Amino acid sequence: MHPGFVARVGAMVCSASLCLLAPMARAEDAQAITSWDIRTAAPWAKLVDDSVARFEKANPGVKVEQSHVLNDAYKSKLKIAFGAKQPPCLFTTWGGGPLREYVKSGQVVELTPFLEKDKAYTDRFLPVGFKSVTFGGKIYGVPAENTSPAVVFYNKEIFAKYGLKPPADWDELLKVIEVLKKNGIAPFALANKNKWTGSMYYMYLVDRLAGPEAFRAAVERQPGGSFAGPAFVEAGKRIQQLVKLDAFAQGYNGLDYDIGASRKLLYSGKAAMEVMGAWEAIIVQGENPEFSKKLDFFGFPAIPGGKGDPTNLVGTVGDQFISISTACKDPALAFKALETMTDDASVQARLEGKQLVPVKGLNPSDPYLKRVAELFSKASSVQLWYDQELPPKLGEVHKDTVQALFGLSLTPEAAAQQMEEAAKAELH
Amino acid sequence: MAETGSPRRLVSPRPPPVPSAWRAALTRWLAPTVFLAPAVALLLVFLVYPLLSSFQLSTLDWNGLGEGGKPVGLGNWLRLAHDEIFWRSLRNNFLLAGLSVTFQLPTSMVLAVVLDEAGRGSRFLKIAYFLPLLMSSVALGVIFKNVYDPTFGPINAFLEAIHLHGPDWLGDRRYALLSVIAVICWQNIPFYMLLFLAALAAFPREQGEAAFLDGATQSQIFWRIKLPHLRGTVRTAVLLSVIGSLRYFDLIFVMTGGGPESASELMSTYMYRTVFASFQLGYGSTIASAMFLVVTAVAAVALRLSKRFETEV
Repeated sequence: MHPGFVARVGAMVCSASLCLLAPMARAEDAQAITSWDIRTAAPWAKLVDDSVARFEKANPGVKVEQSHVLNDAYKSKLKIAFGAKQPPCLFTTWGGGPLREYVKSGQVVELTPFLEKDKAYTDRFLPVGFKSVTFGGKIYGVPAENTSPAVVFYNKEIFAKYGLKPPADWDELLKVIEVLKKNGIAPFALANKNKWTGSMYYMYLVDRLAGPEAFRAAVERQPGGSFAGPAFVEAGKRIQQLVKLDAFAQGYNGLDYDIGASRKLLYSGKAAMEVMGAWEAIIVQGENPEFSKKLDFFGFPAIPGGKGDPTNLVGTVGDQFISISTACKDPALAFKALETMTDDASVQARLEGKQLVPVKGLNPSDPYLKRVAELFSKASSVQLWYDQELPPKLGEVHKDTVQALFGLSLTPEAAAQQMEEAAKAELH
Repeated sequence: MAETGSPRRLVSPRPPPVPSAWRAALTRWLAPTVFLAPAVALLLVFLVYPLLSSFQLSTLDWNGLGEGGKPVGLGNWLRLAHDEIFWRSLRNNFLLAGLSVTFQLPTSMVLAVVLDEAGRGSRFLKIAYFLPLLMSSVALGVIFKNVYDPTFGPINAFLEAIHLHGPDWLGDRRYALLSVIAVICWQNIPFYMLLFLAALAAFPREQGEAAFLDGATQSQIFWRIKLPHLRGTVRTAVLLSVIGSLRYFDLIFVMTGGGPESASELMSTYMYRTVFASFQLGYGSTIASAMFLVVTAVAAVALRLSKRFETEV
């Protein structure tokens, strides 16, 4: 019994150490490329699997070892992998702050030389699509997925029933809210446990009030630029104005977007509008095709007297940027795989799945995609989500303070001041 | 092995004593060493080393990526001392511990005593009560997020039916923590119930019967005979429950993520957020180390106290 136990423990220790060795052994093999992403949803995973199959066929002997990981778990997993200096060869991010941290740690391969070498490939993309993966003039990723602005989705049926029209400005929006409230319908569905959801209102308000320059100036610490500036305080005030008007369905700060809490409010007709990324339409179509027919959207209303152009968008031009880590034995080969994952066939397949990759000359036949594409072609600026653009620490402060604004536990001035204090410490 | 009358001994009448002492020591220590080595090695690698390195990391300003990080000495600890969210999460941890002991344990005790009295017929109930413990916390969290939903959840639908306006269970700072604690207790009650049931099974029936014949009421039997008999088990339960509460993570993480506005934050969820969402490995390690110190201190005091009770009785 006892020797058996020792042997068993010994075996366990040995196998544990073998486990530690295994990934290293794999990295030795130049013909294997590890690739991590968040495409766990079946249709999405299939798009990637198809392009990987094409790549493997064109490059016999090379194997792409893929892992599709759930969104939130993925962020932790990626962070641990980079912390342990064993990142996957190919990986996707949302660009912006977190990717910049990985770049700063020297573990991400600069893609500019590869992109310059293959002009025919590179020139297909809209230059603005590289904005959130460009740091100090160097490009570190390639957009692989959809272009998504945040818009205001609404229930056409409810609007028609009460004779409402999509509001063009803030005053009209307040009237819409009043009519909906009078009829026992919550104006907005908001699932703000996740915090980035409420942040969309704040970003749009700042943009409509002062244009994208206010945020730019605050981030770049330009003279006069401050997160405590008037636009940021005013945005907080307007959010609290909406909260006090009961514009959000009950429980908004505790509802979880990931389990569809806000969409349930829309489906049941208990709420009429939701500010959300354009991907929401794709999800609704999959979840509730019947309701999908009642769903429409309008751009975030203008604010009378605001300096921001009302065609401006908050959102992302391209998403799920693929990058290459320095753990790759053969970055050139990995770049080839990356090219296949974002080639014309992949872009076309995504178009059919209602996804707009930031590539030039796309002509979607789908009326919904066409309208989204139009929004982008008209927009004079696209503001990336604050929590992605800012360094992670600051992004969290932003989301926490905005949630507190929604909870009425911070005054607009105090929230803006907290953000500014954090920015002073973090941005130099 | 050691032959006393060996010829060698005749050749050298004064053998060096060292080898035999060595051999004795060897035989005395060899077996324990061999058997303990794997466990000690595992503990060193997976417990002691991470513990020490987490204390070391707590002196750095580091995002966990790339080389090193900037040493800041006790800077992180000073920041912790003034960190409102940390103190709030510590308070929340103690609230969880307090409610676990005052609500969860008595309920488990009642269930255990009743089930024990009910005897055989209660087998089905025992299994039914045990079920929550078998469910994964994540699944449970998602279920209760729906139960607490202010618009669609059954609780508020019921309150609505009797013309009450149900509160916003998870989205209101005043209720979020208590709402989750209720679920935590519900999930863990079966565990303590089982613990008490096992202890009650060891209670000699004759004692109860004798007391009954002497005219003792059921409540006298419980308070005067059964409860003292269970003292050791109750002590264990309190200790487990307090320590478990101080390190608690899962349901809070799944149901509120520590929110809204950190109202339901625990030390562990705050640490997780600091490390994985805002990329502050150094400060996150400070929170983890502080958590370790708190848990160890509380456990030491609790053990001390329980020992004193033991001698006093």
